[in-house]
Amino acid sequence: MTTQDRVERKKRNEMLTNLRKQHPERVKISQAKLKEQRSIRKTLQQVLKTKPHTIPQLAEATGLPAHQVLWYISIMKKYGKVVETGLDEDYEYYLYGLTRETE
Amino acid sequence: MKSDKIHVDTLVVGGGIAGMQASLDLANQGHQVALVEHSPSIGGMMIGLSKVFPTLDCCSCITTPKMAATAHHENIQLLTYCEVQSVTRNDDGFSVQVIQKPRYVIEDNCTGCRSCELVCPLDLPDVENEFGRTAHRVIYVPFTTAVPQKAIIDIDSCIFCGKCIKACPADCIDFTQTPQTLRVEARTIILATGFKVTPYDAKKEYGAGNLRNVIDAMMMERLLAPTGPYGRVLRPSDGKLPDSIAYVQCAGSRDETLGVPYCSRVCCMYAIKQAMLISGALPMADVTIYYMDIRTFGKGYEQFYQNAKAMGIEFVKGKVGRIVEDEDQNPIVRVELIDDNSRVAENKHDLVVLSVGMLPGYDTQPIYDVATAKDGFVQIPDSNVAPTVTTQEGIFATGTATGPMDIVDSIITAGAVAAEASAYMHLHSGSPAAPAAD
Repeated sequence: MTTQDRVERKKRNEMLTNLRKQHPERVKISQAKLKEQRSIRKTLQQVLKTKPHTIPQLAEATGLPAHQVLWYISIMKKYGKVVETGLDEDYEYYLYGLTRETE
Repeated sequence: MKSDKIHVDTLVVGGGIAGMQASLDLANQGHQVALVEHSPSIGGMMIGLSKVFPTLDCCSCITTPKMAATAHHENIQLLTYCEVQSVTRNDDGFSVQVIQKPRYVIEDNCTGCRSCELVCPLDLPDVENEFGRTAHRVIYVPFTTAVPQKAIIDIDSCIFCGKCIKACPADCIDFTQTPQTLRVEARTIILATGFKVTPYDAKKEYGAGNLRNVIDAMMMERLLAPTGPYGRVLRPSDGKLPDSIAYVQCAGSRDETLGVPYCSRVCCMYAIKQAMLISGALPMADVTIYYMDIRTFGKGYEQFYQNAKAMGIEFVKGKVGRIVEDEDQNPIVRVELIDDNSRVAENKHDLVVLSVGMLPGYDTQPIYDVATAKDGFVQIPDSNVAPTVTTQEGIFATGTATGPMDIVDSIITAGAVAAEASAYMHLHSGSPAAPAAD
C-alpha cells in the first residue's frame, strides 16, 4: 500500500465515522437489524450444512416462523448462497441446500 | 450529464408503458422530449408483470426493448428518480421545476456491475418491486432490467460501513449528494401518471392483509414472473406448492364500501390469464375463479375466456362474503353461490388471490391544476372527441391516468396523445412536426 493509498483510506474512514456520528439513531437501528440478520443467516446455514431442507423443516429446526425462513431463503437464493436441490417426497415443498461456494 | 435548465417541446410525466410510448412517438417525429419518472427506473407497472393477455407474450420481452429505445433515443432526455415540484405557465408554454433526488451514486460513472450490492451486508424488504416477499441490499440496482442500470443507496438504512466504496471499481459512491433542482421549459405537458391498485388489506372481510396466504393479483404477477421473489409460485406462509388456488373477483372494484363503484376493466382478463399460467406452472393444481360477471370486451378476449374454461379452470358464479384461515393457514372462502339457489358454501384453498382494481396513481390537481373526475382520474371534458385533452390548455393525459384500461388501450392512447400534442404545437407556432411548405 502506497502512502497516498494510506492517506485516502484514512480520509475515507474519517468521512464514514463522521456520517455515523451525524445519524446515530438510524445507524443504531440498522446495526441491530444487521446483527439479527447475520445471526439468522448463520443458523440457517448451519442447518443446511447437514443436508437440504424444506421451509417447514428449516422452521422446525431453527424455531423461526416458516414465512420468515422463506424470506431469508429467497434472499440467500437471490445472492447465490442457496439453491433448490429438488422436491420432497410428497412433491409439496422444494428442498434447499447451500451452494458449493457457501459450503 | 444533466444541465440545470432543459428546453424541450414536451415534458412527459411518468415512465410507464404509456409515457414511454408517447415519448417515442413524439421523439420519432423530431420533437425534443424530457421524460420524468419518480422511480429510479422507467418501465412502470408493466415491467413487473409476467405475461400479457390475450396473447400470453412475455411482458418483459415487450417492455425492455421499449425502455432501451426510450433511454437511447437522441430526442429523449430521461430524468429518473425525479419529482415535479411546480408548474408555471408562461408565454412559450410551461416552466417546470423538477427535483432530482440523490442516488448517492455518481450516475454517469456507475456501470450497474452490482459489485457494491454483493458486498453490502444489510437486507431490506423489496417493497417497491416485490411487495416485500424478498429483499434487496441497502445499495442496489432496482431490478435486473432496470433502465438506467444504476445503483442507488437507501440512505436511511445505511450503516456507512464503507464496503461499497471499497468494492466499486468506478469510484461512484458519493455520500455528499443532495437533492438538485432542474428547470424544464416545455411547450406541452403529457401526464402519464398511471395507476395504483386498491389496497389488498382494505377489506376486513377478506382478512385485512393479515392472512399470509391471501395475496393480491399484482403479487401473483411477481410469483408467476421468472424474475419473481421465489422464481416460482409458492405460497408465502411456508413455501408450499399450492394445490388449490382461488381468485376472488371484484375484490377492489364495483364496491361502494371502498369508494370504487366503477369496474376496473382488466381484472377479469388478468385473473383468467393468471389462472392459465398457473395451470401451466402447476399442472396438478385446481384453479377456481369466484366471479359476479365475466367481462371480456376486447379483441380475442372472449375466446381467451372460453379457452380457460376448456383448460379446466373452474368458474363459480358467486359473491365471496368472507375469508378466514384454518390452523394451517389455509384460507377458507365463504361464498354465496348464485347459480346454486344462493347456497352458502365454505371452500378451503391453499392460496387466495384478490383481483384488486385500479385507482388513480397520482392527483394532478395540486401541481398541474388539471381537474380530476369524481373517480379521481384525470378529467377529460370531451372524451368522445378528444380523449387525451384535459381541462388545461397544453396539458394532455394518457394511459391509466385517465381511467382504468389495459395495456393495449394504454398504448393506443399514448399514440393519440402524441398526435394531439404534436398538432397543438404545430398550431401554436412552428414545430419539427410541421409539414413542409407547398
